[in-house]
Amino acid sequence: MRSIKLAVLLLFAAGLTTRGQTAPALPAGYVGSETCKICHEDIYTAFGKSSHNAVETGAKRGWEGRACESCHGPAQMHTESPSAATIRNPAKLAAAATDKICLTCHLNQPTHVGRLESSHAKDQIACTSCHKVHANGPNGLVLRKPAAINEQCASCHTNVWAQFQRPNHHKLPEGAMSCVDCHNPHGSIRPAMAQSFAANEPGCLNCHGDKRGPFTFEHGPVRFEGCVACHEPHGSANPRLLARQEVRIVCLECHASLPTVNATGTIGVVPPSFHDLRSPRFQNCTVCHQKIHGSYVDRNLLR
Amino acid sequence: MNRLIALILLVVPLMVPIHAQTPAPQAPAETTPAAETPSPVPSAESWLTGSVDVGYRWRTDVGGSLDTYRSIVNLGSGPKMLGADFTLTDPKHRAFDQIRVRANGWGDEPYQTFHLDAKKSKLYDFRADYRDMAYFNFLPSYADPLLSRGIVLNEQSFDMRRHLANFQIDLLPGNWFIPYFAYDRDSGSGTGATTFVTDTNEFPVPNTLRDQTSLYRGGVRFERSRFHATLEQGGTTFKDDQSVFQGSGTTNFGNVATSIFGQKTDLTNLLAAYGVRGTSIYSKALFTAEATSWLDLYGQFLYSQPDTNVHYQQTDTGNLLLQSQLLFYSSQQYLVSAAAKLPHTSGSLGVEIRPLRRVRIVQSWLTDRLHNAGSASSTQTLAGTGASQQIAALLTSSLVTNYSQEEIDVFYDATSKLTLHGGYRYVWGDANDAVLPPAGLMSSDQAKLRRNVGIGGVTFRPTQKLTVRTDAEVASSGGAYFRTSLYDYQKVHAQARYQALTSLSLAADFTLLDNNNPVPGVNYDYRSRQESLSLFWSPLGAKFGDFQASYTRSTLHSNIGYLIPQTLTPQTSLYRDNAHTATALFNVKLPTVQGIAPKLSAGGSLFISSGSRATSYYQPLATLWVPINKKLSLFADWKYYGYGEAFYLYEGFRTNLVTTGLRFTR
Repeated sequence: MRSIKLAVLLLFAAGLTTRGQTAPALPAGYVGSETCKICHEDIYTAFGKSSHNAVETGAKRGWEGRACESCHGPAQMHTESPSAATIRNPAKLAAAATDKICLTCHLNQPTHVGRLESSHAKDQIACTSCHKVHANGPNGLVLRKPAAINEQCASCHTNVWAQFQRPNHHKLPEGAMSCVDCHNPHGSIRPAMAQSFAANEPGCLNCHGDKRGPFTFEHGPVRFEGCVACHEPHGSANPRLLARQEVRIVCLECHASLPTVNATGTIGVVPPSFHDLRSPRFQNCTVCHQKIHGSYVDRNLLR
Repeated sequence: MNRLIALILLVVPLMVPIHAQTPAPQAPAETTPAAETPSPVPSAESWLTGSVDVGYRWRTDVGGSLDTYRSIVNLGSGPKMLGADFTLTDPKHRAFDQIRVRANGWGDEPYQTFHLDAKKSKLYDFRADYRDMAYFNFLPSYADPLLSRGIVLNEQSFDMRRHLANFQIDLLPGNWFIPYFAYDRDSGSGTGATTFVTDTNEFPVPNTLRDQTSLYRGGVRFERSRFHATLEQGGTTFKDDQSVFQGSGTTNFGNVATSIFGQKTDLTNLLAAYGVRGTSIYSKALFTAEATSWLDLYGQFLYSQPDTNVHYQQTDTGNLLLQSQLLFYSSQQYLVSAAAKLPHTSGSLGVEIRPLRRVRIVQSWLTDRLHNAGSASSTQTLAGTGASQQIAALLTSSLVTNYSQEEIDVFYDATSKLTLHGGYRYVWGDANDAVLPPAGLMSSDQAKLRRNVGIGGVTFRPTQKLTVRTDAEVASSGGAYFRTSLYDYQKVHAQARYQALTSLSLAADFTLLDNNNPVPGVNYDYRSRQESLSLFWSPLGAKFGDFQASYTRSTLHSNIGYLIPQTLTPQTSLYRDNAHTATALFNVKLPTVQGIAPKLSAGGSLFISSGSRATSYYQPLATLWVPINKKLSLFADWKYYGYGEAFYLYEGFRTNLVTTGLRFTR
């Protein structure tokens, strides 16, 4: 009789354990997140508040109750012999191996559609370089605040951040914009991992909609090479973020007044006119050619 | 009896997990187990957390050019809501799980922002973003043909604000089928100065600017375990109502002071207005897939077709000259109807193949093709001392570009600490720009793009404390669109990060671009180079504070030949920029006095350059934080802006800003 009672109690206890996990029996080698919590409670608690906790609680991804081991691998050996050597740490793997773990779930999201064009992926920047996988809140898994985003990008792209200290710059240091307003860190079809507007138009148009057109009379470089043909978008000592100190220099480097159309195989080499550049009147081309981004009504971009 | 009890005890616990795995049909909302839904914040925590910073800013008088100060900094005096950051959490998960709100710079500030995230697990994810940006630009060195006469004016200046609003809602997040909808709005309005251009003179006149773009889009994302697809359809509406005017009763003599054929030209009345209306539709299809354990696929197809219709009306009076006919006239009416359409197709396909454990092969193909077609019909009616004259014209325009690139990259993990990367990219395209009928030298232009690029890179991580990355491109071109385009170039980028001590980390960044176009008539020689070093030091576990600093040295050297327009003699355009940029910030925890532990931050940035536009720009700052209690802090902030130019002395400025305020924390 006592043995029957004992068997019943054991079965009841087993049932309660199963109920708590709401998951099927663990595969061989796995111990479940609750076991991880015993030693790593702080991480477990933080993780519980992050959006990654959906892996722990949802059945969709097949890791219910085993979120820790979805990235760190089976942890049974680690529980038997706790040391860094007995558990996989994605942050310490080669970037491709780390990314492979993340992409196991995240490849099925639009975020990564430009991954092959991404210089981050090509340069072996692992997902964990930017994303704190266990963290939560606006500065956690995915940075949300512009200042935090900029700080993170600047920690590697020091050169670029230095350009924002120039007097004319987009307002990133002021916290009004962030790097991801213009760049997609996961990759994009556009050069420099730039964001796009309305499917495939330049991301600059997200804010500079008045430059969008289409214009009846386009200025070729705007369409062929984009805004960076004339502007330094991060920052410049020159007005209007221009790549040269004065407007006429910007213009003359392409409109070089060569006598023959297409002598160099490039566009725009012929003189638009024979202006006397010694006169101040002709030293600022945009005084007259004011619709330099394209004109709706005038072939010479005068109005 | 005992057997019965044992059976019940056996069956009940076994049933519980089965029940737990079965969806609970018609379960009342209040009985939905909270444990099933991840709670961002435990219910024991406050439903509202966050802080708000309010204060008052004083700006001293701006020494030097106020216009330049407004063009570059533009911060003013007055009461400000400097920042707010709140999180609202509903422990009962009724309408939302969590709402996050942040706002910055409200109170007549140049950059006012507001952002809201609201989400409810498995139901919706909503984001709203609003920005109000001031755009003031009045730099005479940009466009002042009258400077030699002592008139400081920028004839292309702006004083306007841009308003950007974005709203997006994703439904059923976390599901495999996620519909989403979004609305974006970008608008600008304000005033400025521009020129009214005639054949022989340009007249500075005021203008008003008003444009608005609205973007509507919606789509669905299919997120299955091994593939994803997104289908999106959107469209925009656009309007631009710019006008240029000069009231009657004033005479504008323009930029030309000299007489032409014994007469001076002038403008006595002007009204010119653009009525631009545009629409567009666009489509987007994206997919990613893990075809097998060794093969991933990526692809996207993007298509947009914006178009515009324009009605331009201009009436002006004065003493003006039609140069082509040497005809003086006293009034003009100029009407233009124009239209343009720009179909634009882009696409990419790519695969990542992992044939061996240590080898990855990435191949991608990308194309981008646009074709703009425009037409303009104009009627110009001139009236003078004689009979009136009407000139009609019809112009068509075309702009085409077809760009493609193909790239293959091979990555080899030589060891777990060393990855080698090699690749090859071929870029090709053509561009055509034409306006018909031709006029003067302007008719059509075309160019071809052909570029071969070799790619290499190394990633080396010998220890967890040190990472070194380098990548390089070497390119050779057989054609380029513009004289300043990339042609034969070498590009190098290297980064290193080193955790020297637990409290000290160092980072270095190096970039080099060397671009040459040796084609006769171009002779372009361009080299830019930047080197940076940054450090972060937090001694004693940041017990007393921390320090971060960076220094960047950059040089840019550009030579390109051109012919001086009036003499057609060869000239070289030289551009030089040698710059030093430094940033630093100390955060110091000051001694505690009567339980109050103040903190001081000090630092700032400096930029000094020599060369074609020698400039200095200093922004030192200091901030003192005094926490009064857990919910209230006092702060005081000082910042100095000093700007100077070697060649345009009249554009320098300097000023101090002092802000004091309170931070309320909950």
